[in-house]
Amino acid sequence: MEEFHSGDEVSFSPDEGSNVVKECIEGIIGGVDYSQNKVNQWTASIVQHTLTQLVKQGKPFKYIVNCAVMQKSGAGLHTANSCYWDTTTDGSCTVRWENRTMYCVVSVFAVAIAL
Amino acid sequence: IVVALFDKNVQNNEEHNLAVESTIGNSSYQHSKINQWMSGIVESSLSQLTKLGKPFKYIVTCIILQKNGAGLHTASSCFWDNSTDGSCTVRWENKTIYCIVSVFGLAI
Repeated sequence: MEEFHSGDEVSFSPDEGSNVVKECIEGIIGGVDYSQNKVNQWTASIVQHTLTQLVKQGKPFKYIVNCAVMQKSGAGLHTANSCYWDTTTDGSCTVRWENRTMYCVVSVFAVAIAL
Repeated sequence: IVVALFDKNVQNNEEHNLAVESTIGNSSYQHSKINQWMSGIVESSLSQLTKLGKPFKYIVTCIILQKNGAGLHTASSCFWDNSTDGSCTVRWENKTIYCIVSVFGLAI
């Protein structure tokens, strides 16, 4: 049985975050091809669903979830993030996913709340 | 790269003003230079923000996309304190490049 010391700070676990994100992406755009009509719905669902799952974990964090979906057409896409925060408690994770017709990049940032 | 600043004010109950002005200028998309540009944009935005000296944690994200007809969609969702936290997004383009920079400010 794990001991929990209530005075300890909780830090964000990128692996757990990645798992939550991967499940959400698979569930929403798992087997479908890029469709311009639907892509707005997809990005909105992915971020909302991911956020809900993260908040359900009940940890003392504020979250920002960012999702980009791009059609595969040979264009170059680059993304970068820079964060000014408390490195002992805050963290982020980024998941890159693709299928035959599109790329999806989801980033989650978790910032600890001072209790 | 010339980095310019957009001002956006934010302090606790006020709206957060973020200054981000980044000029990739007349440069065309060049795969070899992208990393430099992105680091430059993101780092200077962040340092301008921290210079403001406000009690915030910041997250700056940048997306650069070559113009060739591909569709790109992005969405963000945030779980935070609506009265003190905020974000702003700047979309910029030239003949060959789209650039999207988002800044999130979270009150400490």
